[in-house]
Amino acid sequence: MAVLSANEIVKTFQEGREQVHVLRGVSLDLHAGEVVALEGPSGSGKTTLLSILGCILTPTRGELTVDGMRIDPDRPSLLPAVRRKSIGFVFQQFNLFPALTAVENVEYALNVKGVRGPQARQQAEALIDAVGLSDRRHFLPRDLSGGQKQRIAIARALCNSPSILLADEPTANLDSQVGAQVLELFRSLARRQNRALLIVTHDPRVRAVCDRVLRIADGTLLAESRIAA
Amino acid sequence: MVDLALKTLLHDRTRFAITVAGVAFAVLLVLFQVGLFLGLLDNASVTIEHIDADLWVTSKNTPNVDFSHAFPESRVDRVRSVPGVARADNLIVTFLNIDLPSGSQESIITYALEDFERWGIPWGTWEGNLSDLRRGDYLFLDQSAAKRFGRFAVGDYREVNRERLRIIGRTAGAKSFTTTPMAFIDYRVAQRLNGQTLRGNTTYVLVKLAPGADARAVAAEIRRRLPYNDVHTRKEWAAASRRYWVANTGLGFNLFITVFLGCLVGVVVVAQTLYTSTMEHLKEFGTVKAIGGTNRDIYAILTRQAAVSALIGYAVGAIPALLIRPAMARGGLQLILQPSFMAAVLGGTVAFCIAASLLSFNKVARIDPGLVFRT
Repeated sequence: MAVLSANEIVKTFQEGREQVHVLRGVSLDLHAGEVVALEGPSGSGKTTLLSILGCILTPTRGELTVDGMRIDPDRPSLLPAVRRKSIGFVFQQFNLFPALTAVENVEYALNVKGVRGPQARQQAEALIDAVGLSDRRHFLPRDLSGGQKQRIAIARALCNSPSILLADEPTANLDSQVGAQVLELFRSLARRQNRALLIVTHDPRVRAVCDRVLRIADGTLLAESRIAA
Repeated sequence: MVDLALKTLLHDRTRFAITVAGVAFAVLLVLFQVGLFLGLLDNASVTIEHIDADLWVTSKNTPNVDFSHAFPESRVDRVRSVPGVARADNLIVTFLNIDLPSGSQESIITYALEDFERWGIPWGTWEGNLSDLRRGDYLFLDQSAAKRFGRFAVGDYREVNRERLRIIGRTAGAKSFTTTPMAFIDYRVAQRLNGQTLRGNTTYVLVKLAPGADARAVAAEIRRRLPYNDVHTRKEWAAASRRYWVANTGLGFNLFITVFLGCLVGVVVVAQTLYTSTMEHLKEFGTVKAIGGTNRDIYAILTRQAAVSALIGYAVGAIPALLIRPAMARGGLQLILQPSFMAAVLGGTVAFCIAASLLSFNKVARIDPGLVFRT
């Protein structure tokens, strides 16, 4: 069963007097334990699709189901709760809080998701251990390398065990060796912890860790490639 | 719980220092201006507060204790006959001229009674024997006069309204709102020195109530018997004397403008620094939303930052004001910082700073969470 299901998603923005059709009826499913790449040129609608799948934006039309819950576009105030429960994000720019240490970045995300006190600190430390950065837990982001920052961002995305991970160009700011390590971490997370992972990317190396590759152009999904295991 | 608000606030120390300095400046300005004003106002009613009278009978429409008008002294007898009055005496408050050894002439405000000790005036420490005032042409002079009149000592002579008076005592703490030095002389001597106005006249009747007497009832009866006089309780008369200076001199409006500007400076500095900080951290606020935070979470962060800035700014502004108070008192300036006033300024500082953060709230509420994906 799909943990995320999008059906005929349409997104239109009003720019001045003109309507801009960014997504024109996109349908896709993500299954538990599956790693999917979403590729496409700039302006093709990748980020908008990611925002809608991540319950950051609501679609103009179409149906979205996350973890069995149907998302009501007319009630955007309910979206934060869906994000807290079911979705983890990894950003291209890492988006760590610069004033917080590595472990505090993860702990704060747990706090937002409702985990407080010593339990939050224990879980944060366990997540930092899981991404292999135990010795850097008290470092501020400015004192971490790009790869280390991305690992912390992944640890943060894993807070509260979301069933869906959405990653936006996670290797774009990493060198090839570190990028490969991060991708390997993604793949093992999806496989071992049975999470669905969607990676928006331009990086051809990402294909190597994916089960499927989706291509989008002009707001429409094109042919799907299935990667041989 | 990770305190993102505080850690972010302290992370940029320069900006935080600017915010705190802005708040502290505003707090210091308000505490100084209002504290000094309260100190001056205190002078306006200090004698009323210290004289042991429950009621004051004044001439009609006397604006404040310093600007007295004369009325027949025989009215004191009518006051004494009112039930509930334990005792009543005439008091003269009048400006007289004093010739200084330098040859210049200045004004003194003079309080004259037949029996000073009976009414608890002058108060505080003094040198000399008050009962000696009755014996002739003598005066007690407040030591604050030294600043304007030059040094003086018990035993010195001064000409007051062209008559020679000997200084037989010094008082402390007797001041008027106008900063005119205060002197104490015998009632009859005062009438003689200003005979044209005060012969057979007084300027006030002081009333001490009998135990258990109802002040309002006694005042009403005195008003009935003396229709051409006003009667005030001590509290009313002190308030009226202070109100005169606030309302009739523009000082109240001046104070309002100063306090308003102080608050405005504080609000603008806090609003500007918080807004700039918010704009610089917009992506972080977007990230808070992306990981499941709500507008309320972000409002809580901004409110906490504003409140912390207010509290630390208040401390930085208030501590110097408290520390400098003794030095100012030595220089003759009274800075009154009552706990209730300090608490009001603290509450106002926090409220204004939180209000200033509303500008940032407005911006954050309209954040497009999709900005977290932008590079």
